Amino acid sequence: MRKMKFAPTLVAAAVSTVLLAGCNAQASKQEAATMAPVGKAMLAKSEQAAFAPLAPLGPPPQAADNLTTPDKAELGKLLFFDPRVGGDASTGCSTCHEPEQGWAWAEDFSRGYPGTVHWRNSQTIINSAYYPRLFWAGSASSLEKQAKSAATGGVAGNGESDIMEARLALIPEYRKRFKDVFGDEWPLIENVWRAIAAYETTLVQRDTPLDKYLQGDKAALSAEQVRGKALFEGKAGCIQCHNGAMASDMDYHNIGVPANKRWEEDGLAQITFRYEQYAKGQTEEGYRTAKSDWGFYYRSKNKWDKGKFRTPSLRYTAHTAPYMHNGILYTLEDVVEFYNRGGFDEEGRTTQFAENKSKLIKPLGLTDQEKADLVAFLESFSGDPITTEKPALPEYAPLFTRAELEAAQEAK
Amino acid sequence: MGVRVTNGRALLAAVMGLGVAVSAQAGEYPDIGPLPALKVDAAKAELGKRLFFDKRLSGDAGIACSTCHAPENGFGSKEALSPGYPGNGNFRNAPSVINTAYKKVWLHDGRIGTDLNDVTREMITEDYIMNMDMRIMQERLKQDPVYVEMFKAAGKNEPSNGGARSMIPEYLKSLTSRNAPFDSGKLSASAKSGMALFKDKAGCIQCHNGPLLSDQKPHNTGVPENLDVFLDPMNHQAFVAFTMFQGIPNYMALKRDPGYLNITLDPKDMGKFITPSLRELKYTAPYMHNGTLNTLAEVVEFYNQGGGKDRNKSPLLKPLQLSKAEKKDLVAFLEALSGDQLTSDQYVWKGEYPAEYPAIDNWTQVRN
Ligand code: HEC
Ligand code: HEC
Ligand code: HEC
Ligand code: HEC
Repeated sequence: MRKMKFAPTLVAAAVSTVLLAGCNAQASKQEAATMAPVGKAMLAKSEQAAFAPLAPLGPPPQAADNLTTPDKAELGKLLFFDPRVGGDASTGCSTCHEPEQGWAWAEDFSRGYPGTVHWRNSQTIINSAYYPRLFWAGSASSLEKQAKSAATGGVAGNGESDIMEARLALIPEYRKRFKDVFGDEWPLIENVWRAIAAYETTLVQRDTPLDKYLQGDKAALSAEQVRGKALFEGKAGCIQCHNGAMASDMDYHNIGVPANKRWEEDGLAQITFRYEQYAKGQTEEGYRTAKSDWGFYYRSKNKWDKGKFRTPSLRYTAHTAPYMHNGILYTLEDVVEFYNRGGFDEEGRTTQFAENKSKLIKPLGLTDQEKADLVAFLESFSGDPITTEKPALPEYAPLFTRAELEAAQEAK
Repeated sequence: MGVRVTNGRALLAAVMGLGVAVSAQAGEYPDIGPLPALKVDAAKAELGKRLFFDKRLSGDAGIACSTCHAPENGFGSKEALSPGYPGNGNFRNAPSVINTAYKKVWLHDGRIGTDLNDVTREMITEDYIMNMDMRIMQERLKQDPVYVEMFKAAGKNEPSNGGARSMIPEYLKSLTSRNAPFDSGKLSASAKSGMALFKDKAGCIQCHNGPLLSDQKPHNTGVPENLDVFLDPMNHQAFVAFTMFQGIPNYMALKRDPGYLNITLDPKDMGKFITPSLRELKYTAPYMHNGTLNTLAEVVEFYNQGGGKDRNKSPLLKPLQLSKAEKKDLVAFLEALSGDQLTSDQYVWKGEYPAEYPAIDNWTQVRN
């Protein structure tokens, strides 16, 4: 099991020690100072103390039992791009986490395994190594477990462990690499997940304009962005949830995102919707009546968790449109409008579980200039797109020669 | 996924000829003869037929049961080794499913001894066969208005994965031999002589007996390995996944199909396969668990030489010294065990399947 260096419930002190490690101490002190006056107007004292300032991103945490080495990460990269890690050898990790599409998939719902469509938006891989829990509703507790569930899930990779392990055993290059990295006689599926997790710890971005700014380079943000930052930390109240170095409290909130209307119009999406209710262990009544994504509820089974999702990082979001767990908001402008309306879309729709909607989400009364400033600031969470050369995939080769097989036949 | 029948003995005890008790006296076998008629529920079978030909029953909607069990090949496959689920090969021949409803034990190694519902589940979920998460299958069926109607007609509230698994076996009951000369008593003179050889000099009846012409027991006949299982990594990977899942020791080193050993893990069962039915062979070439014999003449020649080479080979197989004419007669008899091709609408779903799933109207208001 992956041991994260911070607990899912965010404790400001712990986060600043870990994630700020190695960053400019003076900058973070300044940050703490700029932060102090802000949320005050809107927030109770107790809540104010609860969030950590925005901060430069430190090195990613590592699982004590799966330290990243260059060889392991390189193997993980091959596996990440290899569709044979999946059911019909067509759909690998990179299929839905396409580097050109922000290491995600640029549609509301992710593409699915062939013959299906997914029911959630594909999340970016960039910086996923910093999350203590993965997926929109935090259902996986480590990158390793996440990878396994992605590769085997019916609308994702739809692979079975045995066939995936069998494939790797018949690819000489993998046999060699698994032996070198893990000492496996034959590639073991659990080590596939370890290698992929190791590769993911290399897919991080720590030099965004905001990181530079927070490290003391005051020229890294434009005047507009600096104004946006103040709004983020003040009038717009974003910092209440999007805080710390990842701009996420790693907690679960219902911010009012309404159901994706595609479920009303698209037969393929309706199939997956019901399947997910089934697969996530809904009660019969829940399966029959659910019409939107119940989010964190599937894990906790508490009714007050319906419609809650993990606060996502805002890093790299300039490249990962569309937004939200179901991709209903297409631009960062749309996102800001959504929050400005108090968690309503342009048609005035909100979450089906209004009773669970966070009290922190309310109309913001931002002016057009303020909205533009906020959007400009959101863009500072992203550096240039991270690209990579897609690796050439190793080939199959027969394990036995014809002569060996004929000799075995003779010996029968 | 595979279901291991852990107790080989219990399985064998359960496997008796179709109600015809096996005589304890050596040399006496359940007689060969026509199959009893089966009662088929028409609405369920019709639904099962639509399912059998529907590619949407596989994970990526790429193949149907009929892709490997094709009507024009006697509901088997004409390839020596069956096709696999996309991205995979296969390591055994896809057997005919005509008359499969009469069996008590299924698959070449006999690993399922319960019912066709379990065989159907194995086919749908096995990763190199159809690789289907049956929960998705259920939701696909619920999304197709034709299935919604057909499940109602078959007495079910709504489509479900359990329902689908019971409808397919009902359809399989409708796939039985029709008008085989052997059953209608219209054997040619040559076929008649062949039948006599079959029961006597050639000794085929020792294993191929009862109305199915199968004792449904495992025997080692020494059929050579199909090396393509190992030379083509696509096939080999399916074989490795299978033997790994079945818990066969040292599976990476295996250079042969373990057959019935899969059930008992007893070395003396290495290379044994369940005696297949000899009905409908006219349409189901190539033959044997791995399709290594191409014609019935080759099969007869194989037996004439006392079967293949294997230390574990059944002592019942010995060189037969059949004359050329006797071999021809034996082939004529085997051919007389095949009836009409089951390729008409009665057996084959010829309707179109919708290219897209229509959305359910008024989705937010209706119950899922
Ligand atoms: C068919 C598309 C698809 C495939 C294939 C796929 N993913 Fe994903 N991935 C998604 C979607 C959609 C989500 C969000 C799902 C959810 O929250 O339920 C996701 C989420 C993730 C996350 C969580 C990120 C976060 O912020 O929590 C990681 C990490 C990830 N995927 C890695 C992988 C890896 C590794 C593989 C290959 C083993 C893979 N994915 C295969 C679509 C896919
Ligand atoms: C109550 C906590 C909370 C507050 C306050 C909050 N957010 Fe969020 N934010 C979330 C959660 C939770 C999500 C994911 C919701 C979902 O998918 O349904 C989210 C999603 C987002 C996303 C989409 C990210 C992605 O990858 O899809 C952006 C952008 C965003 N928030 C920006 C903001 C901004 C700007 C503000 C201030 C105006 C703000 N948030 C205020 C909790 C919050
Ligand atoms: C990808 C090819 C493929 C597909 C698709 C497929 N089968 Fe099979 N089937 C096989 C093979 C190969 C075997 C023999 C497997 C073995 O012995 O291990 C078999 C065996 C069987 C048997 C056992 C026959 C006997 O007499 O022992 C039945 C019954 C059967 N299949 C029914 C089905 C049904 C019903 C479906 C669809 C739900 C289906 N099959 C789909 C390849 C396939
Ligand atoms: C010892 C028992 C035994 C005897 C005796 C025997 N068979 Fe078989 N037969 C089998 C078994 C077991 C198989 C399947 C072997 C395999 O798939 O590897 C088989 C397979 C066949 C097949 C292939 C069927 C198919 O669908 O692929 C034919 C045809 C056949 N036997 C005909 C005969 C004839 C003709 C004789 C007599 C000359 C005969 N058998 C004698 C056990 C026997």
